[in-house]
Parts: sequence; structure tokens; C-alpha cells
Amino acid sequence: MAATETRIHYQEELERLEASALGGLDLVSDALERTLEAVEHQDVELAQLVVADDDRIDGRYLEVHQSLIALLARQSPVATDLRLISALLHVLKSIERMGDQCVNVCKMIPLSGNEPPADQEMVTLILSMGRQTRTLISQAKRAFEERSVEMAQDLVRQDDVVDNLNRDCFRLALEIGDDADRREWAMTMLLGARAIERIGDNAVDIGEQVAFIVTGLFREFEDASHPTS
Amino acid sequence: MAADESRAGTGREAREAAAERAAIAVRPEEFQHGSSSKREKVFELNGVEVLYSGVSAVKGIALDIHRNDVTALIGPSGCGKSTLLRCLNRMNDLIPGAEVRGELLYHGEDLYGPEVDPVQARKLIGMVFQKPNPFPKSIYDNVAFGPRILGRKEDLDATVERALRGAALWDEVKDRLDSNAFGLSGGQQQRLCIARCIAVEPDTILMDEPCSALDPISTGKIEDLMIELKEEFSIVIVTHNMQQAARVSDRTAFLMVELDADEDNRWGRLVEFDDTEKIFTNPSDQRTEDYVSGKVG
Repeated sequence: MAATETRIHYQEELERLEASALGGLDLVSDALERTLEAVEHQDVELAQLVVADDDRIDGRYLEVHQSLIALLARQSPVATDLRLISALLHVLKSIERMGDQCVNVCKMIPLSGNEPPADQEMVTLILSMGRQTRTLISQAKRAFEERSVEMAQDLVRQDDVVDNLNRDCFRLALEIGDDADRREWAMTMLLGARAIERIGDNAVDIGEQVAFIVTGLFREFEDASHPTS
Repeated sequence: MAADESRAGTGREAREAAAERAAIAVRPEEFQHGSSSKREKVFELNGVEVLYSGVSAVKGIALDIHRNDVTALIGPSGCGKSTLLRCLNRMNDLIPGAEVRGELLYHGEDLYGPEVDPVQARKLIGMVFQKPNPFPKSIYDNVAFGPRILGRKEDLDATVERALRGAALWDEVKDRLDSNAFGLSGGQQQRLCIARCIAVEPDTILMDEPCSALDPISTGKIEDLMIELKEEFSIVIVTHNMQQAARVSDRTAFLMVELDADEDNRWGRLVEFDDTEKIFTNPSDQRTEDYVSGKVG
């Protein structure tokens, strides 16, 4: 036993809670994977499964949130530990939102009807967005685990890819033509694309929390109200 | 006669051991009845009142202390938490004029029953004090003291090692067991006192401000130790340090001072007793909230 190592149980609990919170990102990644599969195959049953399974993500949120509050009350964390717990509370909220966005996409699948997709190119774009967003999720998790500000900041670049794909979706929707059914389908798909785009933003938010833990300073990587470009 | 004389040593030991067994009206094995679950009660207090020379120090105390829990007693100075703690192993018997009323059960038996030998009870319910109080003896002899008194001389080395390991002190002292205990740091002395306490295999350890004379690192070690020890023992701790109660305990009792109408008399009373997490995140009583958040004291 190291002579100076104390509060071992507290440290173990904090590590456990971090792993549990970040494990929520794996749940979200799985939910998004199934969401994309449901979109690709217009699989209403699979979509319903994703909606039902969101309870697991919400449950993780509630469980870890409660434990973090207890840890704050009982252990009086300071310095890096305090920043970590603050960051984890933010990350949990992001995870919960990401899960909800998957639910939003899945709920629109029955609305898009049983007809074949009006525009296969738009479906392909959305699937690309989703795959790219899953990369963002796993990168956000790794950046957090490794406390890598560099990797966290790179999430902005990765997210730009998702944003650009989202704009492409919008252009396709504009050009979809005058047919009312096709336009309704395109509008519905646009809502789905928008939900996936928001998941990417949440991944960037997690990256910002990584920078906060490491540097002690909070700043948005990108300020939507004051864009640099 | 001569032959009898030569056997007297062992014979006396055997008689003493038999007397000791008889004297413990409340033996641990008898206490193991009922559920062995986490919720097994070690102490049950109902309407407990402690008086010094006829004046109440605490009254109306009702709480259960469960096995393998760390139970913390917190509250402002003079609220009677140390008085209450000392009731639990009859240490108040040693104070002239002290009187305990109400029901105080230890494993379902009346701890203050006429058949209970307080000395035996204190062996089962050990105590660690605010100021480390090792004997002016070697480290080894400090830990071996209790077992020797009890005639448990077999495997004494193993008993001492087990107790020192249990108190997370073995690695620091194993090469100097014959050194005087006063040569240890304050934190080490306190862990030695814990080792001395557990060497006689109690089932409960009472701790009265065990860290208030220690630096933060030594305090951290004792707190870690408490979490280890509760696997085997039940622990009741009195602490002035609310955060310590928050860190180490499973259940917390908050006591405060109550005054009578003309403010002539004051006594301690139990305000709230609940899971520590509840006490420190969402207490039921506003007075608890005010105390744990440092608004009153």
C-alpha cells in the first residue's frame, strides 16, 4: 500500500461513476446504429425498439446523476475532482439528449410511410450523417477518457462534416419537386437529419467539457451566435 | 499438594476462562439469532435518557444501530453525542452520578440488565478515544495486552499481526514491534489503539472523535480504515467534523441542544436519524438542513 494514498474508496467511486457515465455514450452509439438501420430499411418495429430502449439511457442518466449528487454532498470534491464531476453532470445531460434525438428520428419512421423512399440519395446522405456522428460519439468518449484537449477540439472538424451533409439534405429537399407526398416525405426526413445533426453538436459539447477538466477554463469551441467564419 | 501447585497455573487459567464465560451474560454467539442480513440490529435504543446527578444530558433517544454499518452521531457541542456514545458500552458507569434510563438493547438483550458485567460488555464493544492513548509499552505489548489479560496466549504473534494488519499498521511497524509505542506518529498511535481494540475481537467499535487530533493524511487513513473495518465490525463514531460523517458513515444521527421554556435546563435530543446520503442531500428536518449546511451551529 502506498503510504500517502488515502481516500481510496472515494477515488474508486469517482472512477466508477465516470466509467458509468461514459458507458452511456456506448448506449447512445448502439441506439444510433439501430436508428440508422431502421431508417435504411424503414423498419418500424426496430424503431419502436429504439424508442422503448431509451429508458435504459434515461435510467443511466438518473442513476449516475443521483450518485454524483451524493458524492458532491458526502465527499466535498475540489480541484480536478470537482471539475470532473461538474463535467460529468453536463455530459450526462448531453447523453440523455442524444438518446432523445434517436427517439425523435425513430418516431418519424412510421410517418414516412410504407412506400419506397421518394429519394434514395437523401436516405444515403442521412445514413452518412449517422455514421459520421457515431464516429464523433466514440471520439468524444475517447477524448474524455484520455483527457485529450486536442482530440476534443478535433470534434469540431468532424462535426463540420455532419453539418455539411445536413445542408446537402436541405438542398435535396428543396429540389424534390412539386409532388405533395414527396415533399411531405422530404420534410419528415429533414427533421430526422436535423436530429442527427444535433447529436453531433452534443458530442462537441462533451469535447468542451474535456477542455474544461484539463484547463479549468470553459469556452465554447464554436459560438453559434458569433460564428468565426 | 506439590503436584497440584505445579498445575495451578493452567488450572487457574481454565477457571478464569470458565468464570469469564459465565460472566458474559450477553455473549456474541447468543446475539447471532435472527437474520444475519445487513439489517441486523446491534443496538436498539428506546426513550434513552442519560442524567448526570439527576440532570438530563440527553433524553428521548430512539434509534437502531445496525450490524456492519458505520453510524455517525453529529451535532453541536453539548448536544450529548459523546454521552450517548458512552452509554453504548457502559462507560458512563465510571462517572459518579451518571444514570441511564430507558431501554438500551444490545443484540436484543438489556445492556443495563443486572446480570451484565460491564467489563465484559466493554470487551465486546470496544472504544477508541479522541487522543491516542497507547500504553507506555512496546507496539507488540500494546496489541497483546488485551489478549494476555483474557488468557488468550496461544498464537499471540498471529493475533498481534492480524490486529495490526486489520488496523492497516502492520507494514509500517512490522520491523520494530519491540519499539516503544510513543515513538509512533499521532496517526500511527491512533491506528495502534484501533489494533489494540480489535485484538480482543469485539463486535462493535465506538469511536469518540478519533481523528480530531490528527492531520488530514492520518485522518484519511483512519477513514479508509473505518470503511475496511465495517466489513467485520459495527462502528459508531462521534465526530465534530460533519464532512467526516458524510464521508465515512452509512447512517447519521443529528442531535441538537434543546432548552426548556425558562432556559434553565438544556439537554440533547435526537432530531433526525437517516441514511447519510439522505441527511446530506435531502434531510427531512429543517434544523438538520440548517446544521449540515453550516447555517447554524
